[in-house]
Amino acid sequence: MHVSRAPHLRVVALLSVLAVLLAACGGDSGLDSSASDAAAGGGESESGGDAAGGGGGESGGTIEFVHWRGEDVEVLEGIIAQFEEETGIEVNQNVLPSDSYNQQVQASLVGGEGADVFTSFPGSQFFTLAESGVFADLTDVEFADRFVPELIEQGAQDGRQLAFPYQLVFNIPVYNVALFEQYGLEPPADWEGFLNVCRTLRENGVDPIVFAGNVSPSQFINPMLMNNAPEEDIFEQVEAGERQVTEDWFVTTLSQIAELQANECFQQDPLGTRQEGAIALFAQGNAGMLALGSYAMATVAQQNPDLEMGLLAPITVSADEAEWEGINTTTFLLGVNANSDQQEQATQFLEFLTRPEVASEYANGTGQLLTLEEVDYQTPALQAQTEWIDRTTRFQPRFLIRNGEIAEGLLTSVEQVLGGTPPEEAAATYQALIDRARGA
Amino acid sequence: MFLVAPTLAAFAMSLTDWNGSSNDFAFVGADNYTRLAADPIFRQAIGTNVRFSLTVLVFQTVLSLGLALLLVRNTRTNVALRALYFLPTVVAAVSVGLAWILMFDPNFGALNGALDALGLGDLAPSWLGDTSVAVYSLALVQFWQHTGQVMIIFIAGLQAIPRDLYEAAAIDGATKGQTFRSITWPLLAPAAAIVVAYTTIQTFKAFDLVITLTDGAFNTEIISTWIYHTAFQYFQFGYGAAGSVVFLIILGALTSLQFRILRVDQ
Repeated sequence: MHVSRAPHLRVVALLSVLAVLLAACGGDSGLDSSASDAAAGGGESESGGDAAGGGGGESGGTIEFVHWRGEDVEVLEGIIAQFEEETGIEVNQNVLPSDSYNQQVQASLVGGEGADVFTSFPGSQFFTLAESGVFADLTDVEFADRFVPELIEQGAQDGRQLAFPYQLVFNIPVYNVALFEQYGLEPPADWEGFLNVCRTLRENGVDPIVFAGNVSPSQFINPMLMNNAPEEDIFEQVEAGERQVTEDWFVTTLSQIAELQANECFQQDPLGTRQEGAIALFAQGNAGMLALGSYAMATVAQQNPDLEMGLLAPITVSADEAEWEGINTTTFLLGVNANSDQQEQATQFLEFLTRPEVASEYANGTGQLLTLEEVDYQTPALQAQTEWIDRTTRFQPRFLIRNGEIAEGLLTSVEQVLGGTPPEEAAATYQALIDRARGA
Repeated sequence: MFLVAPTLAAFAMSLTDWNGSSNDFAFVGADNYTRLAADPIFRQAIGTNVRFSLTVLVFQTVLSLGLALLLVRNTRTNVALRALYFLPTVVAAVSVGLAWILMFDPNFGALNGALDALGLGDLAPSWLGDTSVAVYSLALVQFWQHTGQVMIIFIAGLQAIPRDLYEAAAIDGATKGQTFRSITWPLLAPAAAIVVAYTTIQTFKAFDLVITLTDGAFNTEIISTWIYHTAFQYFQFGYGAAGSVVFLIILGALTSLQFRILRVDQ
């Protein structure tokens, strides 16, 4: 008897352990939950009504806030604690990995549930969500005045403000100010000047541009295109079949990337280098430029706090022909769930995030430039970016491509050229993909 | 219920143009399948998958068989080495992928460092950035992770071969090569069949490793990542579902092949 019972007991014990593990996993529905007030009574939002969260002190209800920026959690927890103290509304902050964010958030929102406050990427994800009707209309909220008007356009559709882009990124290379000064270089004003910067740095044993094969194609193509195709709706025309990527504006852009490659402007094996490696290489101080964007400056500063950085864009035409100085992306679009029962509380939370003192705390704590008017930027990396707010920049062209397959094809064409494919051939391949995607 | 219902749902979805978020969709019949047949990217994904699978199959089978022959005796050292070679199998593919990203790094990576140290730095390829190399780099990681796993199957097969056959061969004066060809290999065939079938299916289902290392770029898109990108990145759920139905048929054929081989074994 004893011998036959022991395995059963083991099985029961194993099942008990599994049950506990499953219960632990199921508690946050697979999300990386970091409820800001864990002591207040659980991490689940009460989406069914205005019930008190249990710990806020007042009956303000509980709202759920979902986003993809795990690195911002700590700063946001501090801000949320202030909000909860002021309003009695409890906020559960949930973070999803950025690479699966679209799928998970989209599925829950479109399914009629989802977080009360959620964030969206600009471009195709925003368009898709907007067409699904999951954004509450925020056109008439008073705090809209706190934003720089042209920086919230990407959250509007059909004359309605559906979301507020919160972060501002410049998708242009970061450069090493000390190295430029050492070799008497200035941010170039035209294409010949850009090539000369590359040549000078290379002659002095410095990698002119550090390129991350998995990210830089999506970043570097934007400033390379901006003056070759100055119309902001260029990809709208391409998707409509009115323009072709086999035309000069695109083939020239790819040819100029090939020219940079031929002039050894990139480090060894640019396509094989990943973003983490590229940032580490640049942070060592022996590279002229980093082909990512302003968002990388905080990470570089963490690795090398003494590295002075600036932003510059490759101008691919002559100085007098240049219409644009750089590229911006307004992202981390804050929206309120149209299906939420607590839209008022959710909107209150957005209002709180846009207050100058709160926004400053967020910006300085996370190293992010914001789309708001009155923000007190205190870190050197942020101060280096602020001058670009008033420059002539245009929204990232790649994000204006609505068809994901066509957007991806743009990056493939850059990778092909860097891999040795002639620009004309890469452009023709891309046009064939566009034609197929349009015909689908 | 958990198998048939999702399969039928995927098939039904493959007959629509649903984008994954809208409540509106239209019945398009076999259009998605017609489009698949003419889609060069889907065909390329199948071709890449075949190259990836064959590379893993050959290297994983040969290496694991070699290791099994070396470690078949149950000595303490061999048992410890078996556990060591088996270890990567229990690590999540994403963790393995992240570790290998560091190994492949052209500037800081151990692989290029080793080639440099041997004076072969000029031969270092772009492991993850060259379209003609990247899929083989993925295959390298795949069989590095799973060779120890299939080695165990071979060891079990080897240990099941009766010892008296080897003794009889020795009495007859057979060489090591003759013994392997006439006794070991024929009696190991059932285990080899399991390894081949298992490895083939495993490589067709590879997903997380590809997503982590290249996300399908540089000519490394395989069928499973194509389905994911089409449905979740390009928001073409109907079309992606058609791809998944084709994938199901391929996997079904491979699985039935596996079962046939196993029946032969029995």
